[in-house]
Amino acid sequence: MWQYFFRRINLFLATSILLLLVLYIATGLFPVDKSFALSGIATPSTEQQLQINQTYQLQQSAFKQFIAYIQQRLSGDFGVSINSQQAVAGELTRVLPASLELAFVAGLIAIAFGVPLGVFAALTQNVFLQRLILAITLTGYSVPVFWLGLSLLLWFGVNLNWLPTSGQINLLYDIDSVTGVMLIDTLLSAKPYSFAAFQDAVLHLILPAVTLAVLPFTIVTRITRQALTNVMEQSYIRAAEARGLGTSKILFRHGLPNALVPVLKSIGLMLGTFASYGIVVEVIFSWPGVGNWLISGIYQRDYTVIQAGILSVSLLIISLSIFIEMLHTAINPVSRKELYASK
Amino acid sequence: MHLNNIHYEEKKATHLRRIWQTFIDNPLALVGLWAIACLILLTLLTPFIAPFSPEAQNSQAILMPPSWHEHGSVEYFFGTDDLGRDIFSRILHGVQLTFGMSLVIVFAALFIGFIIGAISGMMTGLKSSILGHLFDALLSIPSLLMAILVVAVIGPGLTNVFWAVGIAMVPQFIRAIHQAVHEELQKDYVTAAKLDGANSLQIFWYVIMPNVWDILIIQVTMAISAAILDIAALGFLKLGAQAPSPEWGAMMAQGLDNLLLAPWTITIPGVAILITVLSINLVGDGLRSALVPKRN
Repeated sequence: MWQYFFRRINLFLATSILLLLVLYIATGLFPVDKSFALSGIATPSTEQQLQINQTYQLQQSAFKQFIAYIQQRLSGDFGVSINSQQAVAGELTRVLPASLELAFVAGLIAIAFGVPLGVFAALTQNVFLQRLILAITLTGYSVPVFWLGLSLLLWFGVNLNWLPTSGQINLLYDIDSVTGVMLIDTLLSAKPYSFAAFQDAVLHLILPAVTLAVLPFTIVTRITRQALTNVMEQSYIRAAEARGLGTSKILFRHGLPNALVPVLKSIGLMLGTFASYGIVVEVIFSWPGVGNWLISGIYQRDYTVIQAGILSVSLLIISLSIFIEMLHTAINPVSRKELYASK
Repeated sequence: MHLNNIHYEEKKATHLRRIWQTFIDNPLALVGLWAIACLILLTLLTPFIAPFSPEAQNSQAILMPPSWHEHGSVEYFFGTDDLGRDIFSRILHGVQLTFGMSLVIVFAALFIGFIIGAISGMMTGLKSSILGHLFDALLSIPSLLMAILVVAVIGPGLTNVFWAVGIAMVPQFIRAIHQAVHEELQKDYVTAAKLDGANSLQIFWYVIMPNVWDILIIQVTMAISAAILDIAALGFLKLGAQAPSPEWGAMMAQGLDNLLLAPWTITIPGVAILITVLSINLVGDGLRSALVPKRN
């Protein structure tokens, strides 16, 4: 088991270094001066230029430059934003929590609704309902997220005027940023209107979170249904039935835990697509997160912002997917068996 | 069954025929297949069918609603946009860009991914693992971020969408083929063929490949629908096809200014994307349920 974890961590390190290499090569290909693309300082004074040459080893061989690049990036120095002339790392820590908040709530919605619906679809004998759920999930899987977001915005935000359509909170509320997660910050703040601000933040969150939740919801529903249908045909379920256990006990003790293992795996595989969708959703609903920040960065050719955004999101995805894979192996004895057999 | 006719020979359906039979038993999959056939036909025939050129502007008919609306006109079936361009013609021309482009990208990515995946899958040990995992780093970059990186290097435009989506897609094919080939390689029937003296090229082509094709086909249908969504998303974010282009995502971006005034300029391209992706997914689903039971 430990050997397996060790191998996974090795894979994580190798992938991260490759990712940094890809980014480093791309940085060299940007249609601007290399020191500008690396540091974000457009017209450096002679001193600054010397400083940049020194930190990024620009006079040295490509290999040394790459090592210096890794050192700078991993120590949290992303240069300054070309556009705002502020440290990119500071901006990143401001936008990252907002994105995580959105992604977390969307994921929660997807699992909270997807798993029960999948269970229902697997257990129901009604063919019409089964077909209906399949059709809904397939449509949800195929719908372009930007169109869905715009339609929801137009319908619930403009025509019905139920929900706010852009941003994280009404600008009237002045909330100090503690964690960066608006739902927590509003509750933490000692202002008299903190609960009203919390409600406002929740209302702002609904539309983007629901839009983003559609894709993982459909995938979770489909996989749960498939896995549970498989599991319920296994002989150990029949054995449990023969022992006279009730349906709910069989389902929750024997069926669902086994059915959720492939769901976990599919969540790990979905992360990349989920991040892409998250970027689009953030742009549509003007959510002040990484996606919005990155897209405005590319419009303004803010090369330091682009590097930092891609690096942070990709590293997050790599570590999360490897974590999920390890979790999958830890809770699933079957995949552990394969592991030992392959040695 | 009792056979009255002694000359009657029981016909056994071939493998392909049985798959086809299972496939057409699913009506939804068949609908999807018809839709795709129509789309492919449209990609080829658009210039002859479309009533207007995609860039033709008519200042007399600006923001005209679709024909079923009381102020609509049959002349402009889906209405017009803010420059008086016929949306129906633009949608038709968009088939070529969005759908046709996705096919080109997927097959280009498949070609490269197939070669690398097959070679790395047939190899064993460290070499295989390095080749197989080399592109995993690319796999972890979401396709949209990859596109942003490509746009940062070579600028926006429809040709750059090809590179952006293609680069994001190749590692997926490599991984799928690598895994499938590797899995088959462990099985006994491959060992039997090896003992018969087949060389590795023969093993690959005649022994392993027939069992990998179905995985590949499913992967291709999934990739096409993902490619369409990516192309459209890039167009929508103004990183892909640029303003006058009738690419569906770009059309939606152009309609964004009139979202409240003329929602059909957004809805119609959106529905076009939805229908296209849905029909591809229906076919993919049908293929999966027709092919996969055979594997177990």
